[in-house]
Amino acid sequence: MVQQLTTDTILGRLSESIPVIASQSPTPHRLYIEVPKDRVKEACRILFEDLQGRYTITVGTDRRPVNGKFEVLHFFSFDRDNIRMAVRVFLDPDDLTLESITPVIPGAGWAEREIQDLVGIRVIGHPDPRPLALPDGFPEGLYPLRKDYPYNYQPPLDEGKTFPFKEPPPDATVVTVGPFFPVLEEPSQWRLFVDGEIVVGCDYRGFYNHRAIEKLGDSVLTYNQIVFLAERICGICGCVHSTSYCQAVEEAAGIEVPLRARVIRSLILELERVHSHLLWLGLACHIVGFDYGFMQSWRIREPVMWLAEYLTGSRKHFSINLVGGVRRDIVPDQFDRILSVADDVDRQTNELVKAIQDDTALIARLKGVGIFTPEEVRLSGAVGPTARGSGVAIDARRDHPYAAYDLLQFEVVTHDGCDTLARTLVRIGEIFESLKMIRQCVNLLKDIPVGDLLGEIPEEIPPLKDGMHAVEAPRGEVFHYVLTGYENRPYRWRVRAPSYQNIQSVPMMFKEGTYLADVPITLGSVDPCFSCTERMEVVDQGRSQSYTLEEKDLLRLSRSKYRALKATERK
Amino acid sequence: MIASKIRQILIGKRAGSVTLKYPFEPRPSEPGYRGRVTVDTDKCVGCGGCADVCPARCILITDVSPFIRIIRRYLDRCIHCGRCEEVCAYDALHLDGEYELATTDRKDLFIEQKLFMGTCNRCGRCYIPPTPLDRLMVVGFRKDEDLDGETI
Repeated sequence: MVQQLTTDTILGRLSESIPVIASQSPTPHRLYIEVPKDRVKEACRILFEDLQGRYTITVGTDRRPVNGKFEVLHFFSFDRDNIRMAVRVFLDPDDLTLESITPVIPGAGWAEREIQDLVGIRVIGHPDPRPLALPDGFPEGLYPLRKDYPYNYQPPLDEGKTFPFKEPPPDATVVTVGPFFPVLEEPSQWRLFVDGEIVVGCDYRGFYNHRAIEKLGDSVLTYNQIVFLAERICGICGCVHSTSYCQAVEEAAGIEVPLRARVIRSLILELERVHSHLLWLGLACHIVGFDYGFMQSWRIREPVMWLAEYLTGSRKHFSINLVGGVRRDIVPDQFDRILSVADDVDRQTNELVKAIQDDTALIARLKGVGIFTPEEVRLSGAVGPTARGSGVAIDARRDHPYAAYDLLQFEVVTHDGCDTLARTLVRIGEIFESLKMIRQCVNLLKDIPVGDLLGEIPEEIPPLKDGMHAVEAPRGEVFHYVLTGYENRPYRWRVRAPSYQNIQSVPMMFKEGTYLADVPITLGSVDPCFSCTERMEVVDQGRSQSYTLEEKDLLRLSRSKYRALKATERK
Repeated sequence: MIASKIRQILIGKRAGSVTLKYPFEPRPSEPGYRGRVTVDTDKCVGCGGCADVCPARCILITDVSPFIRIIRRYLDRCIHCGRCEEVCAYDALHLDGEYELATTDRKDLFIEQKLFMGTCNRCGRCYIPPTPLDRLMVVGFRKDEDLDGETI
């Protein structure tokens, strides 16, 4: 029996070896501790290794206008005990350096590179301190997330500067995929180091489409305007961002959300999960060349979109949330249609899954591809179906209940396969769980009297209060941190989408002997957004030639493998 | 493998063709759809509440003189969240079911509204007089001036 952790025991364990300067626990599920600058790495090591906490994100804040210092927060989550905590450290503007925690926690790599780029805090001892978020040639000494940087200032770029890519291992050929990536929706560039057909290493360059959303949030928009901006962070699972943001503000300001609004939030979130997983299933089939699955699962998905339009007024950007509650009620007249769509989707998905699960060629394409072990899940901080496909049962809905999930009965679907097939099965299982929850939400709504949908909001939200909240998005846990500020807007707003951690885990999935043709589906198994590639470039270093591979060539490569497998089946 | 393929064919057969005939057949939106923004300029009192909440900042207000307030709505930038409809105290803004808003001219999605306002004797800022009769008695007159023609 492992000892149950509380905020007090965590604090006690840390105080044994580290002089904790200040600690604060606004609720039994939240803990903020301040440690001296030179002990941050040690504190994070204790939380990560000794107490088995899950690393969430690192946030850097320019607090100079308030107390003359910079602040860095390392967030950890204790999923079994429903505790989220932050290790806080204040830095003097004259000495903006901080010891890196990435050697201990590999999943912190990107977050630390980001504070280096955007806030200008130099991270010492980082294994890969290259720039991450800023464009190539961004002037030195300018840090966009500092408070003295105007939100609309665009400095001239030094055109001559290029990104310091990794050197490939000797004898390896570089295959550049991107900057418009065939699998992920974001523009991202992967340089795959291949030896023949086998991938021997990779390098990533992303953030081509960094939109400065966080800067807009803490310098231009107001609390209730950010809700709609947050929703537009993602084109597929927008509602999770707005819900997560609203909950973070509600936590910071102490706003109580009415029960009916909470149930409606849960219902809409589950509806979103159903459509997102069906979309992913279709695209995964498409990527491996099984277009039948793509057509059929998108056909099943369409009524879910129409239902969303009927309930919220829009197919995709539901705009249902506001700080304090929701904007639209779900009335009894709408219950029948919700239930009938849920039944239809349930029946049809079941039929489809039964039909394709014996398709041995399809299964062979997924099985054993992109192996991701539970230990790697922990190191990289991966979340969602990516983690649950490796048997790591973390789910914010169960572990840190929000909205109405404490009233709903559901199972956390996990699978021990650790491969792409396991991640597929987890997502399929979650479709059925979500449909179950949608029915439960309708039953709950029948019993809850119609009333206010927005909680009581104080005249002015108190400044400099912390709020953090996470929502289980279709891809994993979406984490939002809000530090409330002045003039009706947050002082700092940090968004951590699940893909932020999951994409970092992809290099771990390219195990020895991964075939180039398996790369699209391995990446696809992590993040369900596949966008169109315009072109990609293959550089054959040995012969110093380069030729381009169009989207269709890459797909052909991926699909011919499926056909070859099918041919062997027939023999 | 063969059984699986047969089952797949049966599902496809049963579903048939599901492609809609749109745009050759109309496809009305669901009730409550947040589509085109329409403004009832008779009801609008120029309070600026919509400009205050608009997340995309597509509603902008300029007071060109103590008597004239201009509200410009750049609806090509609209994200159809419907906040303006929600906060309008005079029921002047509505989002209707129209969604075919694609155009080659941004001006098609631009609404400019000039409001004749009263002036507060104490602060000098614009306000709308409560009744149409009061509006006639407000000091001043409807100006016929070029209002800095730049609109889009």
